[in-house]
Amino acid sequence: MNGGGEPLISMSGITKTYAMAGETIYALNNISLTVHTGDFLAIVGPSGSGKSTLMNVLGCLDSPTSGTYLLDGVDVSRLSDNRLAEIRNRKIGFIFQSFQLLPRLTAVDNVELPLIYRGLSARERRALAKEALEKVGLGERMFHLPNQLSGGQQQRVAIARALAGQPPLLLADEPTGALDTKTSRDVLALLQGLNEEGHTIVLITHDPGVAEQAKRVVRITDGVLSEERSAVS
Amino acid sequence: MKLSQGIRMAWGSVRAHPMRTLLTVLGILIGVAAVTVMVSIGQGSTKQVQSQLQSLGTNLVSVNILGRGVTTSLTERQVEELTNLEGIAAYAPSISGSATAKYGTATSDASLEATTSSFAEIRNYKVAQGRFLLDIDNALSQKVAVVGSTIVSDLKLASPIGEKITIQGIPFRIVGVLESKGSSAVGGDNDNKIFIPLQTARLVLKTNKIRTIYIQVADAKQIDGVVNVLKLRLTNLFRGNSDGFNVFNQQDMMDTLSSVSSTMTTMLGGIAAISLLVGGIGIMNIMLVSVTERTREIGIRKSLGAKRRDILFQFLMEAAMIGGMGGLAGIAAGAGGSALVGKLMSLPTSPSWSVMLLAFVFSLGVGLVFGIIPARRAARLNPVEALRQ
Repeated sequence: MNGGGEPLISMSGITKTYAMAGETIYALNNISLTVHTGDFLAIVGPSGSGKSTLMNVLGCLDSPTSGTYLLDGVDVSRLSDNRLAEIRNRKIGFIFQSFQLLPRLTAVDNVELPLIYRGLSARERRALAKEALEKVGLGERMFHLPNQLSGGQQQRVAIARALAGQPPLLLADEPTGALDTKTSRDVLALLQGLNEEGHTIVLITHDPGVAEQAKRVVRITDGVLSEERSAVS
Repeated sequence: MKLSQGIRMAWGSVRAHPMRTLLTVLGILIGVAAVTVMVSIGQGSTKQVQSQLQSLGTNLVSVNILGRGVTTSLTERQVEELTNLEGIAAYAPSISGSATAKYGTATSDASLEATTSSFAEIRNYKVAQGRFLLDIDNALSQKVAVVGSTIVSDLKLASPIGEKITIQGIPFRIVGVLESKGSSAVGGDNDNKIFIPLQTARLVLKTNKIRTIYIQVADAKQIDGVVNVLKLRLTNLFRGNSDGFNVFNQQDMMDTLSSVSSTMTTMLGGIAAISLLVGGIGIMNIMLVSVTERTREIGIRKSLGAKRRDILFQFLMEAAMIGGMGGLAGIAAGAGGSALVGKLMSLPTSPSWSVMLLAFVFSLGVGLVFGIIPARRAARLNPVEALRQ
């Protein structure tokens, strides 16, 4: 993780275009964004606003057409597939709307997945996965399959999976989109707790109620980013 | 990612669809089993042919006078001169024909050979009762006969030794009965035979023209040399006409037959290998389905940091595992199958470990090769699109 001055995320002039029927569509238009370690940022916007594209670029799942993206001091805007995979593995913990757990694997096996690709030994993996599951309060359900868990529990397994590799950035894409109100509140509380412990969180949502929980909110409309509420602390 | 981790992952996926895996494995199993059975049948018959040839005599060279040109046969004296050569352990001139043997009212049509005492050793005939022809039988033109077991039963001879039978109307005394050799693909019925002294051929076959000589060479290494000298001498004798005779080397025949049957083995194995290929296509098919079905899984893995090679490795491992399972099961089925075929069709089978190992390695290879396209497809999936599924 970074100390003090240097930001964790530093985007400048990020543009992503698609060619569609001869026309150039600007999914992201000259976006600049800085996120510091320890921030809790919410990106809000209606569907079709370019929010998912931004999330994919932030998560190193996709490369921008132009612009510079420094993540933890590394320029990731022009990297090969393999290098991007490595960055995703080490720097980013994903939390998806639909949990994205592998149905055939137990909770602990799911949490171990990113650690497998990091090349850790079975013993190290198991220790880290267990720790992460205990942190999200699922230490008792390590060997349950996803379909034996409730939605909220599944999302907590996904959060544990994002935490297990101790990445500097947690990236949550509509983490409460598939959950009921009460469970949503629990999950958001868990994320807030993690932020208080020092985890940097970027949350993407269309729900202003969810965005309220973040320290800072930016809005994306038609591929353009605007500051909505600055950091309180 | 480590191999053991890859194997564990592959096993998890292979186990997730037992029926599908079973059917795909079956495709490979049938291929491997077919190759194993076919090759073991082929090799078994090669061995059988070889042992049959061996039973005709070891280091055997035979000279046949074909009867074209000036000289159409040899005299005993010419035979002696011809075979006076270092390296020749024994020789037996032979005049052969067919004859009818009678004993009381029973008759038997037999193949008759007028020859000398060395014949038995050269052609690997063994006497069960009595004795074979002796030199003295020949010297004195004794009307004695050594008969095969078929003759004994045809003529209903209770105790054949000493019995008088007639051959072409001429009375002969049986002095020996041969051990049964059975019939073989290369020698015909070896038991329907009567042997008489060479000198008596004139009486029974109305000829004393020698047109066949069997020669036993002392050492296998000398066979080629002996054959060459024989050819040279015969060419002189036939005044340059090399079409009038034929020097036949058993080793050559053995080699020819071996190459024929090994060609057959290769062909059978090759045809069976086609079914292995079909099995491989089955693997490819199921892997392609699997990649499509598991697009989301691939997306998740990629988002968590799986590189292309990790995904490639995972799917290749699965394909190789299916191939390997089919290979192992196929070897077991093939070993059982060739034993069964051997028993049911009374064919000699000779299951070969090297072929089984090869079939296993090949089926692993089939899995890998046919896994490449699906695995590449999986590895190249775009994680953003894969996750959207």
